[in-house]
Amino acid sequence: MTTPSNKTILLVEDNELNRDMLVRRLTRVGHTVICAGDGETALQKMRADNPALVLLDMNLPIKDGWTTCREARADDAISSIPIIALTAHAMDSDRKTALDLGCDDYATKPIDFPDLLAKIEQQLSKTADE
Amino acid sequence: MTENTDTSDEWAARVIAAVEPLRAVQRRPSVTIEEPALQDVIALLEASTKLASIQDTTGSDARHDRMNIIGAIRGYAEMLFEDSQTLHQAVIDTLPSILAAVESPASNEPPQYINHVTLASGNVQNNRDPGVILAVDDMPENRDLVSRLLSKAGHTVLTAESGEEALELLETMGVDVVLLDLMMPGIGGSEVLRHMKEDERLRATPVVMISGRQDMDQIIACIQAGADDYLLKPFNPVLLQARISAGIERKRWHDREEQYRLQLERNEKFIRATFGRYLSDEIVDEILESPEGLELGGDLREVTIMMSDIRGFTTLSEHLPPQQVVALLNRYLGRMTEIILEHSGTIDEFLGDAVLAVFGAPKKGDDDAERAVKCSIAMQAAMDDINKANLADGLPELKMALALNTGTVVAGNIGSERRSKYGFVGHAMNVTSRIEDMSGPGEILISESTLAKLNGNYTTGQRRELRVKGIEEDVIVYPILGVTP
Repeated sequence: MTTPSNKTILLVEDNELNRDMLVRRLTRVGHTVICAGDGETALQKMRADNPALVLLDMNLPIKDGWTTCREARADDAISSIPIIALTAHAMDSDRKTALDLGCDDYATKPIDFPDLLAKIEQQLSKTADE
Repeated sequence: MTENTDTSDEWAARVIAAVEPLRAVQRRPSVTIEEPALQDVIALLEASTKLASIQDTTGSDARHDRMNIIGAIRGYAEMLFEDSQTLHQAVIDTLPSILAAVESPASNEPPQYINHVTLASGNVQNNRDPGVILAVDDMPENRDLVSRLLSKAGHTVLTAESGEEALELLETMGVDVVLLDLMMPGIGGSEVLRHMKEDERLRATPVVMISGRQDMDQIIACIQAGADDYLLKPFNPVLLQARISAGIERKRWHDREEQYRLQLERNEKFIRATFGRYLSDEIVDEILESPEGLELGGDLREVTIMMSDIRGFTTLSEHLPPQQVVALLNRYLGRMTEIILEHSGTIDEFLGDAVLAVFGAPKKGDDDAERAVKCSIAMQAAMDDINKANLADGLPELKMALALNTGTVVAGNIGSERRSKYGFVGHAMNVTSRIEDMSGPGEILISESTLAKLNGNYTTGQRRELRVKGIEEDVIVYPILGVTP
């Protein structure tokens, strides 16, 4: 497997336990991770910190993942940041909606970590090519 | 998910139990756990404690929380496992059962192997859940590549070089995931997908589309048409494995769900067969006595109609495993049937948890309304015993709402020549249903017309007026509070 790039990833997830775990795991393989617990904060951090990638849970307080994704895509300053949607298991409709809304990829919960890493790599190498 | 059964609490219980040995090991003075693993262990134990603290909560939020926490436990356990060379053996020994418990319940099923396909020999890597993959691609080198990669991971790979061949293979082979090239001469990928989605037997088989980046629009169309996933060429082998594993997992979920559904259907048939016959005994007698009774149509008669249901049962049943739903229904409907028959009522229909019974047909009695009220009181009283038994079995408490109404209905064999049943039609039926809607949990609500027929002394509660579509005057109803000695 390729070496993970050292670029900041914004992880948007409201469940604290799951968020801490993912931060630890991503950090361990060499990523820098910043976090947001709701959609509104996520948009602010996308604008302020320009992360290389966003991992976006769909089930969020204040502003849900769908709305956040739509608003991010409508804002020229941040519209090109790749978004990987984290959707609940077996919700086929969620996956379609995520792609329709402009998410670049999705990973289903419970997270298969090697799969997620591969998806992150693919997105990061895509932006590196452009 | 059309996943109507919430098994997340059982799953959580399994996870909590599997974490306990690790907690015990961590407390042992002789076991030292070094950083950074120590932090992972502590976080994992905390997550399990949190999971235990929300164990008695229900609803979709609780389910969501549980899934997230199980996800966190899984992540920490996997991290520890990756670190296992630096860990104390006692810690390592606790990990396999934790990792097994956090796997989604559906993947506990052993994979279904098919025996008439040659398995790739050689270095088979460990794969959690090998499956049968059908790779469809017109380019031989692509088929070879996929075949090699997936066989190496322990999967059984079938290949097809055209859409036509793929559909033929799908007819006869049990396939877990289809890897489908979009652009092929003849029947293309989207066409194969459409065929699969139209075929009830193939609909649930996950499909991963493969295409070049320039065909993204068509990929989105395929996902809308029911494809589960996609891969862009040239594809990353890790990503391919990941998509295939996800597809297999989805298939296992589906198979498990299908099994539940079939079981539920079988049980429903059993209930109908068991309880349905209580109606026919009486009716068959009447039909035998009067040959004209076989004719369709019927006669007008005054009857007292009883309708009851369990308040909130639909919601409740969505949160219980099918076996528990059936156990609840069997106990409840079984007892209600006994009581209604003891009071010479005719059970017309069970609709899930709802009971429709009639007093006064096919045999008219002098005390139809009276028996209906006595029967209702006995039914409500029986709920106490039913709930005691439910409680003892860890099943939820049930509250029944009950309504009675007396009126004129058409009773007889209603339906077509081919299929008819002894049943009841009339506005009084609709009125009863409306009264039943208004009746509260544990209540017996009777209409004025039923009350007027009673001889015994019953304590009634506050009079209520009820507007019913299609009749001018309000329907007057009273709750029955008890019998006055």
